[in-house]
Amino acid sequence: MQWDLRPARDFGLPAAQRLRSHAREPGLPSLTVHALWQRLVRLYLLTFHRLAVTGRENLPAAAPFMLIGNHTSHLDALTLASVLPSRLSQRAFALAAGEVFFSSLAAAGFAAVAVNALPIWRKHTGTGDLAFLRQRLEEDRLVFILFPEGTRSRSGAMGAFRHGIGVLVAGSAVPVVPCFLEGAHAAWPPGRWLPHPGKLRLKIGAPLAFSEVPKDRAGWAAVAAACEAAVRELRDEHVVVRR
Amino acid sequence: MIFNVATVAEAFASPVTLWLVAATFCTLLVAVLATLLLAVTGLARPALRHELWLRIGSWCLLLPAMILPVLAGKAWLILAVTLLGLLCLREYSRATGLFREPVVEAVAVLGLLLVNFAALDHWYGFFMALSPLTVSLMAVVTIPLDRPSGYVQRTALGIFGFMLFGAGLAHLGYMGNEPTYRPLVLLLLLSVALSDVLAFTIGKLLGHAKLVPATSPGKTRAGALGALLGTTAIVAAIGHVVFLGTVMDRPLLLVLLGVLVGVGAQAGDLMLSSIKRDIGIKDMGTSLPGHGGVLDRFNSLLLVAPAVFHFVGYFVGFGWDMPKRVITGG
Repeated sequence: MQWDLRPARDFGLPAAQRLRSHAREPGLPSLTVHALWQRLVRLYLLTFHRLAVTGRENLPAAAPFMLIGNHTSHLDALTLASVLPSRLSQRAFALAAGEVFFSSLAAAGFAAVAVNALPIWRKHTGTGDLAFLRQRLEEDRLVFILFPEGTRSRSGAMGAFRHGIGVLVAGSAVPVVPCFLEGAHAAWPPGRWLPHPGKLRLKIGAPLAFSEVPKDRAGWAAVAAACEAAVRELRDEHVVVRR
Repeated sequence: MIFNVATVAEAFASPVTLWLVAATFCTLLVAVLATLLLAVTGLARPALRHELWLRIGSWCLLLPAMILPVLAGKAWLILAVTLLGLLCLREYSRATGLFREPVVEAVAVLGLLLVNFAALDHWYGFFMALSPLTVSLMAVVTIPLDRPSGYVQRTALGIFGFMLFGAGLAHLGYMGNEPTYRPLVLLLLLSVALSDVLAFTIGKLLGHAKLVPATSPGKTRAGALGALLGTTAIVAAIGHVVFLGTVMDRPLLLVLLGVLVGVGAQAGDLMLSSIKRDIGIKDMGTSLPGHGGVLDRFNSLLLVAPAVFHFVGYFVGFGWDMPKRVITGG
């Protein structure tokens, strides 16, 4: 009888390295902490920011898929993660700036265990790492939360999407769900220590598919452009709704 | 209070306890001095010296972590056994992939905590009932997920893990219900470690014929036989003093006890080797430098604990005269 006995991808790594490893697979202790953290965040977003979500029906029922959006605040990843049901939240990883969230061991512990983040390093993370993340996304049936602008917008206006999103999904069956979050920049802009109360509105759009897009530079650029257009469309819809 | 720490007089009430602790620390001291001598004379290669220091450093942390809870009292012993069980279960889950089924693993953790609680409570009925009950719960708990694919694998992996690190290992803590448990528990902890050392040393010196080369290429028949004989002799000899004046103090029973420890220790080792070979890994972890994971160190204890418990329990029992259900009442 053949069983599928697969050790954890990060099996045998020392604890400190595990926290920063792209191979990290959370176990029962991390999952418990993460579930508690998710509940706290959900409660916080509902009470402190009166989060309103539209388009929930656009979320795929099963992983793998990607959640992407505009990036203006530390609230963004927390908000996008909070709309996932717990069954999907267990397998959702936020791709976060290594320099910001994984610099110290304590920060890395919090980012890895509570938020379930994986580090993207501006200098060190190359195409090889992205290829591994793409493989994990598909094989482990994960959800990646990613902000393709690559950094928080200082002004609140949306910047251009970078190609990394294309490297992750071009030519793959994994759908990309575009989101637009409004109000996060006013509530917690870059440079401020703590968030202010303020209304947050999250709009979730219909999933995009890129299985026909070639896996090359042109394809990556096409994916990034299509994703950016989809998020901009959601933003402009928002304006219409508000009038 | 349950977590009272025993006085020194209580802890060393049996002279055997004192001998065993003293012998252990003398051995460790000799090992440190021998390694220092190797370092000063430059006889051993630097890589080997580094390896030796790693092992000795690990032992310097491990031995107090093993011996102090035994000396401190029943509740501390059970707490240490619970932590050891949780660490072993975690390594096992991450090696076998059981951790990808958190619901099953959570039931194993629940069963492990309850069975150690039953030992602490001195509630033998519950202690025994928890094996079939946990197995039953594990068999049904993933049905609501409506994911029949992989059912046998996840259920079986969960039951195996609970039985080894929960139900089986908890027998070591249950021995604490007998007020004179200290010499016996120390004897078990140290003799299974001794069995490993004997098998390794005798195998290196005399061994040629392999024992089960596909399962564990390093083990030799000479090492296995030598470790069995040595462990049996030492357990029987010290057991004679431990069980002085009881039904167990008969040559045949003492030798049988020694054989049980000797065979159980090596069987536990080979069992872990089989698990590792099947998965295709070398060590169960990296938490103990020079040893590997916690399971690589404590594998020989897993099968010895329940076997010795029921063998000794049949003849002299554990805590028959002591108050039962000290926490739950009833």
